This record gives sequence, structure tokens and C-alpha cells, in this order.
Amino acid sequence: MLRVEQLTKKYGARVAVNDAQFSVNSGEIVGFLGPNGAGKSTTLRMVTGFLTPTAGRIYVDGVDAVAEPLEAVKRIGYMPEGVPLYPELRVREYLKHRAELKGVPRASIRKRVDACLEQASVADARDRIIGQLSKGYRQRVGLADALVADPPFLILDEPTSGLDPNQMRQVRDLIRGFAGKKTVLVSTHILPEVEATCTRAIIIAKGHVVAEGPLDELRKRRGAVEAQLTIRGTGAAVEAALASHGAVTGVHTTPTAGELTEVRVGLRDADRAVEEVVAALAQAGLGVRDVRSAGGSLEDVFAALTATDAGAQPEEGGAS
Amino acid sequence: MRSAWSVAKREIFSFFVSPVAYVVLTVWLVYQGFTLYMLASYFAQSQYDAGAATQTPVTLFFGGTTLFYVVLLVIASILTMRLLAEERRTGTLEPLLTVPVGDVALVLGKYLAAMVFWTSLWVPTALYLVILKQYGSVDWGVAAASYLGVFGIGVFYMAIGTFMSAASPNPIIAAVLTFMLLGLMFLVGVGEFIFEGPMRDAFNYVSVWGHMSDFSKGIVDSRRLAFDASLAALALFLAVRVMQARRYE
Repeated sequence: MLRVEQLTKKYGARVAVNDAQFSVNSGEIVGFLGPNGAGKSTTLRMVTGFLTPTAGRIYVDGVDAVAEPLEAVKRIGYMPEGVPLYPELRVREYLKHRAELKGVPRASIRKRVDACLEQASVADARDRIIGQLSKGYRQRVGLADALVADPPFLILDEPTSGLDPNQMRQVRDLIRGFAGKKTVLVSTHILPEVEATCTRAIIIAKGHVVAEGPLDELRKRRGAVEAQLTIRGTGAAVEAALASHGAVTGVHTTPTAGELTEVRVGLRDADRAVEEVVAALAQAGLGVRDVRSAGGSLEDVFAALTATDAGAQPEEGGAS
Repeated sequence: MRSAWSVAKREIFSFFVSPVAYVVLTVWLVYQGFTLYMLASYFAQSQYDAGAATQTPVTLFFGGTTLFYVVLLVIASILTMRLLAEERRTGTLEPLLTVPVGDVALVLGKYLAAMVFWTSLWVPTALYLVILKQYGSVDWGVAAASYLGVFGIGVFYMAIGTFMSAASPNPIIAAVLTFMLLGLMFLVGVGEFIFEGPMRDAFNYVSVWGHMSDFSKGIVDSRRLAFDASLAALALFLAVRVMQARRYE
């Protein structure tokens, strides 16, 4: 549905998106993940034709979106970050206006507006003035707008930002509901959101796509995993027992009160290594009181891939 | 062009549900009514030969005094300032530019809305002429020509305003730029009173004063309208280019 090749966008000297490459297949719900300022919005704005790339190619459903943005955008329902709306319009007036702009045939406008109000669960607010709606409702009006022309491909930029937990859950439920019906590319910097709604993720940091793949694969992506154990025995005995073990990359021991020792073990591979370490310790006559494996979560992958002074990045889209 | 009309409809709706529209409309009508009242009173008091007169209240009302132009520059700036600059300020430009509507249709839609605003200011003033008719004579041919002239000025003032609104990050800057550019063009037009010969003709051609002094005497000069239309076309073309350039920022 979407193929992006060598996509680059420069704002003057600043490179917002650098040689990005990824694709989204039909029917998938894909998370577009990255810290603030990573280039998420800039990338989505290029896909939707709001910005023209400095270099690179974008194909939406086979249509060259750089050469024919008006043709490509017919296939896209886009919800921009912050969901800018006209506050003076009523919800149904706004959606009717948007349907007209998107070329929905006159005869089916009313039907489409009703349908998207229903799909985005804002039907109860149809006659209200947008400026008087809560943020959660406005977000859903934005979603209804994305749906109004019934496009096969939805692009949602930070659809849950600024919402309270209940509203977030509602929006996530809506997105999950598109599974199998629409192709969805949803950008966010919130990890649980991706884990809750998506089957695949694209991780972007500092304008580079640093990882792309199904969530399970991404979880395994991080080379080293860590196990935390509580052992009955001395630190020296633990180190001796694990010193020659092939899966272990490092051992760090902290003695606690009494006979227990807290141990952190660096591991090469998550799958079997924890079992092997426990077996090795038991064989050495050390009592294993507790085992917690840390790492290997999407959060760790995300942190590892995007950690480089991400907090110091300028605000995203500030130059546009 | 269905999408251009859709853009225009939204703009017109938003304008007429805002209090700004009614403040502008009220101030405008009070101002114009007062101007016409003063002119009519002046003619009622002074002794002049009505048969030979080239100046009538209607002629002076439509551009015979500076009162006419000062308010025109301000009004044109206010009417057009929000068109695209407001969309840019509030971020609604993004959803607007990510629908299958070309920049040409967008700019034309905005311009069409501005022309509707302009027309809506002038239509009620016809009532003043009807009132004037009760107490004296009004040459309807002259009045019609005057309205045509006013429409011509609108064609070009609204286009300049659309262009400036496209180029500005917010409506205030758009209004200031429009006012300055239109003010400058007005001042250039004053050249017709300074120079002689072909220079005078050239300045007269670009002058709104010269423009209105023809129309308000009932002279419909197609060159004036051609000037308005070509300047408007240029300004709208530039507005489209500005919208296209924005994508490369």
C-alpha cells in the first residue's frame, strides 16, 4: 500500500528525515514509532503531499505521490497531528465540507457523513459546534474526517496525544477495529499504544529508520538481554559458576543482608539462556530464590535504538 | 471547480458567523451613509446649476473624495486577511492541502469568497441611492457604471489581498502588507496630478482615483476593467505560486 524509498527532507541545513526506507502492506496496522523530533510528522507530511521531499520516492498504492500528489492522496485518509479543525462549524457541517473537498459524489455525501460519524463514534455530537467539544471528541472528529471518503489507507499522526487514559483507550479500540478492513499507519511515541494496536512497527530516530518488522521480531532485535537473580550464596561462588558459560556476557553481583546475593547477568540470547544459567547455578550448589528476566521488551528495543540524546532534539515540525 | 466552490462556501460561512463580519459591515454602512449624507447636504445648500453640473452627490460618493479611498484600503485589508493566513496560523492548512484539491482551486475558492464579501458590503449601499431618489434625482445609468467601477476595484483589491494572505504567516501581517501595497499603489496613482503628457496618462491608467472618476461619471472604459482583471490574474497567479513553494519549505 505504501512504499517509501530513500526519502530525505531538509529544512535549510537541518536534516529532518534522512534516507528513510520502509513499506506498509495492505491490511496491516503499522506503528510508526519514534521520540519527539525524530521526523515522524515530517515523513507523514511528505506521504500525504503536504510537504515535497528533498529527495526520494513515495508510492501510495502504486501511485507516485511526489509526481502526482493529488492522485495519491485520494487513497489516503489523513489525520494530522493536533487535529486542526474549524471551531465555528458544526461537526456534520465540517464533515460535509470535507466530503465535498475529497470528491465524494454529492448523492452519497449524507450517507458517508453518517457512516463515518458512526465509525468514529461521534454520532452523538453531530450537531454540536466543534469549538465547544472536548479534546477527545475533537480527536474523533478528526478520525471521522479521515474516514469520510472511505479511503483504503489511513494515516494517523499522534491520534491519542493529549487525551486522558479513557479517551486513549477508546481511540485505540477504534484503530484496532480497522484490522482487516483498512491499512493503517499510526505514528506515536507511546509504546504501549503500538503493543496494543499494531502488528508491525517502524522505528525512526533522528530521521533514520532504525528498525522495521513485526513486533515479535523487534522484541528479539536487541542482542543482549539481562536476567536478574536472587541467589543464596556468595558473589564469588556465583561468578565462579558462570565464568565459563557460553551464553553469559557479564556478571554483576551485589551482596545483600544475610546469605543472599543479588545478581545481574548479561546474556547473549534471551530464549534458552535463562534456563541454562539457572541450571548452571543449581549444579554449582547455589540456591536460586528468584529469577526475573529483564530486557527483550519493545520498550528496551525502542530505548536502545533511539537512546542517543533524543531528549535534546528540537520540537518536531518546528521549521514548517 | 466544485472544490473551489466548497472552499468558498466554508470561508463565507465562517465569515458571516463571526462577529467581525457584522462589526465591519456596520462600521462600513454607517461610514458610507454619513459620507453620502454630507455630500447630499452640501449639494442641497450650495447653489449650482443642476442642468450643467458634472458633479452630483452620486459622482462624488463613488470616489470623488478621499473619504472613499481611505476606508477602501482598510476594508480590503480586513476582508482578505484571514483567507489563507488564518488557515496557516491555526494549522487547518494541513488538512486543507492533503485533500485532492489543487492549489489553483484553493486560491480561486478563497478569492471567490473575498469577492462575495466585497459585494455584500456594496449591495446595501444601493438603498442609500433609493433614499436619495426620494428627495432628488439619481441617474441610474451613472449609478450602475459606478457600481461596475467599484466591482472592478474589488476584482483587483481582493486578488492583492488573497496574494498577501497566502504569503503571510498570520492575518495581522497579511492585513498590514495588503494595506501597505494598496496604499503604495494609490500613491503612485496620485502621479496623474503631478505629471504631464504621456506620463500623466500612464499614471492615470494605474490610478484607482482615475478609475473611479471615469466610472462615477458614467464612463465605462473597458481598459480600466482590463487593467483590473490583468492585475488580479497576476496576483492570483503569484498566490498559487506561493502555495506551491510552501511545500518545499
